[in-house]
Amino acid sequence: MSEKKTPLHAEHVALGARMVPFAGYSMPVQYPDGALKEYGAVRGDASAGLFDISHMGQVRVEGAGALDFLQTVTTNDVARLADGQVQYSALLDEDGGFIDDITTYRLAADAYLLCVNAANREKDVAHLERHAQRFDARVTDESDDTTLLALQGAAAQAILAPLVDGDPDTIGYYRFAGMRICDAPCVVSRTGYTGEDGFEIYLPNKAAITAWRALLERGAQPAGLAARDMLRTEMGYALYGHEISAEVTPVEAGLMWITKLDKGDFIGREAVLRRKAQGPRRVLIGLELRERGIPREGYPVLAGGETVGRVTSGVHSPLRGCGVALAYVSPEAAEREDFAIGVRNRAIPARRARPPFVRSRTRR
Amino acid sequence: MTIPADLQYTKEHEWVRIEDGVATVGITDHAQEALGDIVFVELPEVGREVGPGEAFAVVESVKAVSDVYAPVGGEIIEVNEALEAGPEKVNTDPYGEGWLVKVRMSGETVELLDEAAYATFLEE
Repeated sequence: MSEKKTPLHAEHVALGARMVPFAGYSMPVQYPDGALKEYGAVRGDASAGLFDISHMGQVRVEGAGALDFLQTVTTNDVARLADGQVQYSALLDEDGGFIDDITTYRLAADAYLLCVNAANREKDVAHLERHAQRFDARVTDESDDTTLLALQGAAAQAILAPLVDGDPDTIGYYRFAGMRICDAPCVVSRTGYTGEDGFEIYLPNKAAITAWRALLERGAQPAGLAARDMLRTEMGYALYGHEISAEVTPVEAGLMWITKLDKGDFIGREAVLRRKAQGPRRVLIGLELRERGIPREGYPVLAGGETVGRVTSGVHSPLRGCGVALAYVSPEAAEREDFAIGVRNRAIPARRARPPFVRSRTRR
Repeated sequence: MTIPADLQYTKEHEWVRIEDGVATVGITDHAQEALGDIVFVELPEVGREVGPGEAFAVVESVKAVSDVYAPVGGEIIEVNEALEAGPEKVNTDPYGEGWLVKVRMSGETVELLDEAAYATFLEE
């Protein structure tokens, strides 16, 4: 079966992007100037990168029982959201393992939008539909009709502002607003996966190409999955399949801050409480290499001459000038400050470092 | 896509310049382009003996780790230390400043292609 294409596929090919299969889609991993330049556009002081992340899923949840339903299936406290507010959250299974990490948008008391990972979309929708049956709530998968762009970097607002009919400056961090871009309705949310100021823009497919080209014309630099992975790893943000999976609970993943045990019952709550009481089976830590080398997924983490864990994500950080990694280690080893990462036949010394590895510049 | 006429090439996308029994080795323009931005190069110790076709260095890009194979057998007599601070030289000047090692040849080599044969190989 061939890969699916986002509405911007031909644009990426025309720009000379190297396309790779990702989560069932043909996606740009980088454009001809290379991932480091794209990274630089996002981290720079007067530029911004533009990502096509239309492969991600969007699920609408509506109805008088939408809030109660979402409280049951998500970990974060949905009742804390006001209209126009977003929260990072997760779907857990009965064992407290991750089904997915998501963001929850409240449009109105009875209308919400969930943004989910591309690789988990079908699984998430099936899970949501199954559990929605107990509530006065309808679940609609809108992914195929929705284009999602991420405009990230110091120049994001200046680039976007003339193209929309509202004022993006009025949108606070983890807030969103309905606006129009290129003559089409859109949702502009001040969120992202890079640690820079920026926006994620949800728009109908029919406006995708016009909006993409308009943003590039205003100076946004097209950026692909390779740069995206460098940026999120530098921030210590989890990626499903790496830091989070069905095999870990929020206790291990350090995501108890989005797991509101006091909000009432939710799927996985009992399991999380048990795990919290027993202590995590492993602990997610950040590591910075003290000598040259690049840590990568799967490399062993060593301490006291033994393997105590494994790297889940790792990159060379251009800003830090060294390798940085996220890794799961045993709870005993998690007490230490000094480790080594096995890279081929070398044990590269690494120190414990709490992410983010670079300074966050999201709006406060 | 540059393929200088005065060099020889391998099917693993290394180039070699042989002068007076010493081979200078690097990776080709095709290889550096396929790898993307190179962020780390691991070179062997001077003095190490390598056999033809043996993996002797590693070139790492943002997304990938790639072994480099010795086109010729012999002793590593010099490595390009400038790549430690400037790994991107392999991208910007793969046949010049991006050279990896120099080998005093023992006489054995892998199959070496001339420029025309390498160009044909790339088209396959």
